Amino acid sequence: MKIRALALLIVVGGVCLVLLTLQTRGHGARTADALALVTTPVQMGLDKVHRGALGLWSTYLDWKNVRAENRRLRDEIQQLRVEALRVNETSDENARLRRLLTLREQLPMTTLPGEVIAREWGGWIRSLTVNRGRGDRVARLTAVISPDGLVGRVVDVRPGVSIVQVLTDPASSLSAHVVRTRTSGLVEGEPSGSLRLKFMARDGAGIQPGDLVVTSGLGGLFPRGIPVGRVRAIDDRGSALFHYATLTPVVDFSRIDEVLLVTGQTTVDVAAHFPSDG
Amino acid sequence: MRGMLVLTVFGGGMAQATLGSALRIGNVTPDIPLIVVVLLALRRGPEFGCLAGFAAGLLQDTASGGLIGVQALTKALIGFGIGLASQPLRVTQPLVQVPGLIVLSVAEGVVRFALLAMFHFPAHFGDLMMYVVLPQALYNGFLAAAIVFALAWAETLRSRTS
Repeated sequence: MKIRALALLIVVGGVCLVLLTLQTRGHGARTADALALVTTPVQMGLDKVHRGALGLWSTYLDWKNVRAENRRLRDEIQQLRVEALRVNETSDENARLRRLLTLREQLPMTTLPGEVIAREWGGWIRSLTVNRGRGDRVARLTAVISPDGLVGRVVDVRPGVSIVQVLTDPASSLSAHVVRTRTSGLVEGEPSGSLRLKFMARDGAGIQPGDLVVTSGLGGLFPRGIPVGRVRAIDDRGSALFHYATLTPVVDFSRIDEVLLVTGQTTVDVAAHFPSDG
Repeated sequence: MRGMLVLTVFGGGMAQATLGSALRIGNVTPDIPLIVVVLLALRRGPEFGCLAGFAAGLLQDTASGGLIGVQALTKALIGFGIGLASQPLRVTQPLVQVPGLIVLSVAEGVVRFALLAMFHFPAHFGDLMMYVVLPQALYNGFLAAAIVFALAWAETLRSRTS
């Protein structure tokens, strides 16, 4: 066995040495050509397989990259959406606070800014909880306003918070008048969430839908001229002593986040500081 | 089985020129035919190792355009030698095979240089060892380790399924 193997090695070695010698003496071209006849087609085949495999691999990598990029872009879009929402929210808050600050600076009375931290929105009671309380020297029946108009009055003062009765609360009533006709009446909250202006029939002949109703200042609770609502419909009861007008509140109580608590007193009409067309 | 072996030797010999470049790291390419010859010689003995080395080397010489017979001779010697050594030394453990292949790669480089020196090969031995033979030997070792473990895993899988 070993002798056969050794003989094989000697033969192989001999062939190699012969090949090498032939090449150095210039006779190697024929041998190379003969071998190339066998190797070249195989080489070409292998190259094709290699290229095919590379192409396949490259396609797979492309697909993988596209998928990864797709995922990355989706995440980025999601982040940008959240970012945009945050920016919008901040921008809205900024605008609201700016309006509140402008109003606070312009009003001829002292006010205290507050944030709405809770809402009670059942039909029985409609109230807001504001983060200003006894420690801020908030008094009961303090008027609460926003840049759009009247919100309500403080009905309960607690440590750290105040409960504000909203105008649409069924128990709420205040003295008001129609700006255009000077018709005075009583604005009451309704369980449906709207307001009702109760006025003497002889005074309200000229009231029209769209007319602005503001606080009258009578009773000294609310400063004069704060917008309350706009006339939506008039309930004409013929010869009855009192007529009713349904009002739409100028303040969207469900969306309000910041308010001003009127801590000072004034006898001046403040209507000029509120939007009259809104 | 024999056809498979011929295909392995033939494919191994030819793969160097095409696949060798794809496996290149820096300027170092593995000697795929040498790995194939060593792994086959370990399993099939000196005669097969010698013939496989001769065939693979001859194909490699032809494909690479060098002196035909140099690698045929060196790989035949390596195939023969490792085939002969595998029986008394029982070099069947992967942890022996891999460093062994590194040593064999260096030995093949030295023999090849000696043979080429007879034909007035101009390169300096030190440079050749530093930049070609040793890096290639290490690469061969790593590649052989991967192949050996892959083969072992495949054999385990086959024995489990059968």
